[in-house]
Parts: sequence; C-alpha cells; structure tokens
Amino acid sequence: MNEEALYLTKVESHAADARTVFGFWTYLTTDCVLFAALFSVYAVLHVGGGVNLFSLPFVLVETLLLLTSSFTCGLALLAARDSQKAAVMQWLGVTFVLGAAFLALEISEFSRLVASGHGPQLNGSFSSYFTLVGTHGLHVFVGLLWMLALLIALSRRGLSRFNLRKLVLLAFFWHFLDIIWIFIFTFVYLTGSL
Amino acid sequence: MNHYFEQIGALPRKENIRTMYIVGFILSLFCTIAAYMAVTQMQLPRLVLIAVIVFLALGQCVVQGICFLHVNGEKGTRMKRTILFSAIGVVAILVGGSLWIMINLNARMMPGDAQMEQYMQNEDGF
Repeated sequence: MNEEALYLTKVESHAADARTVFGFWTYLTTDCVLFAALFSVYAVLHVGGGVNLFSLPFVLVETLLLLTSSFTCGLALLAARDSQKAAVMQWLGVTFVLGAAFLALEISEFSRLVASGHGPQLNGSFSSYFTLVGTHGLHVFVGLLWMLALLIALSRRGLSRFNLRKLVLLAFFWHFLDIIWIFIFTFVYLTGSL
Repeated sequence: MNHYFEQIGALPRKENIRTMYIVGFILSLFCTIAAYMAVTQMQLPRLVLIAVIVFLALGQCVVQGICFLHVNGEKGTRMKRTILFSAIGVVAILVGGSLWIMINLNARMMPGDAQMEQYMQNEDGF
C-alpha cells in the first residue's frame, strides 16, 4: 500500500471507532432511563420516617472510593493518550482495587441488612432499595470484570487500537456509574436519613 | 495514534485535559463532602436541607459531565448532546411524572386531621 492508501485506511478505521463510541454513548443514555425508572419506583414505594438503618459515614467512604476510582480511570485514559502503557496499567489497577473495595463494602452492607431481617422480601420499601442499589452494584461488578479482561489484554497486546477503544468505552461506563451513584447517595442515603 | 482519542470523540481537542480531570475531582469531592456535612452537622429545616443537597448533586452531575465525560459545545459532537438531552427529557418525564401522580394521589386519598374532623362532624362519625 502506498502512503495515501494507508492514510485513508486509518481515517476510515477512526470513523468506525467514532461510531462505536457514539453507539456506546447512546447505550449509556438508555441505561440512564433504566435507572430513572428504578429511582421512580424507589420514590413511590419507600417509606420515610422509619428507623434509619444506614450508617452515613460508611456510605460516605463508599462514595469517596467510587469517586476516586472514577478519577483514576480518567488518569488511565490520559496515560493511554500519552502512550504510557505502564502508567495505563497502574492507574487501571488502582481503579480496579478501589472499585472492588466499593463493591465489597456494598455487599457487606447488603448482608448486614439481610441478616438483621431487612431483606428485599420484607416490604416494597426494601425491595425497591435492593433493586435500585443492587442494579448499580451489578453494573459495577460487570465493569470490574471488563477492567480485568482489559488489563489482561493490555499486558498481552499493549496499547493496540482495539485495546484503546475498549479503554475509552470502559472509562465512559465507569464515569457514568459514578454519576448514578451521586444520585443514589443523595436521594437514598442522605434524604433517607433526614 | 497521537490524536486517536480526539478523532473518535473520546477526549476534547484541548491541551489542558489533565487540569480538567483534577478540577472535576476536587469539585466533586467538595460537593460530596459539603452535602454530607450539611446533613450531619447543620441544623437546617428539612426542606432547605433537601434543596441544598439536590443542588449539590445536580452541580456534581454537571461537573462530572463536563470534566469526565467531556460533554461540551465542541464542533462535531452535536448528536452526542442531542441524545443526552433527549434522555434527560425522558428521565424528567419519568421521575417528575411518577412523583406528580403519587403526591397528587396522596393529597386526595389521605385526609389530614382537620379534614377528618370536619368529615366526622358532618357525617356524625363513620
């Protein structure tokens, strides 16, 4: 291939990747609608003024873990832009650890609630709570699996075009999950404690 | 390779993106901790407190949207914004509509003490 043909191939592949990113963006907005539905159900079904079962400092720690992981995920993306493979893997590893810590705290809170007889089967209030927060947790879990797969792919093939594309989509997904968590933190935990 | 992220619309075409991430992180930390402190430390009326934390949540959402997800007025990202704003419209209808219906239902189906007193007097009890 001559130089012009190579250039054209590159432009076409970038246009294809731009469509992939746009498609993923569209998926994220539909996921927003899913969470909006779950938030509505929670708003309708939850009973206010009951005994407050949530420990706010505990939830604050969860929130800060997820927020910091969102930031470090962005740093991984920036390192990839600067073609620093080691830094990408390092920041992605930090993101993974923070995300896993978040999920571990969430699971311990769930099991504490279930153990004290406040499981999802108790009433509509707890059903909607577990559905909303659990769906977010499931997303985080999927994100962690994805991150692990990407770390393996990065170590084997480095900063290839496909790995970069996966990293971009993962970063979008992870930032999106943190934005959803802001609303869970505010509307479920903070207003729930008033 | 150098401009791959810019070309596929993942990062804006600016120089100081690292600063954007850092500023976004600091502002988000501020919003989170301010909301937490407002609820745990300050003795404000319930409605004021709710207004404050909702404002902080929306502010943090906008900050992260701009600094982390790079929603901006850049050329060539119009479709991205269009999709986002239509989703926000659906979300607003879904959440706002549910609350509207349920608050309305609550107001109509759950009489207050004064209303109940009036009813008892008018009807000689139940």
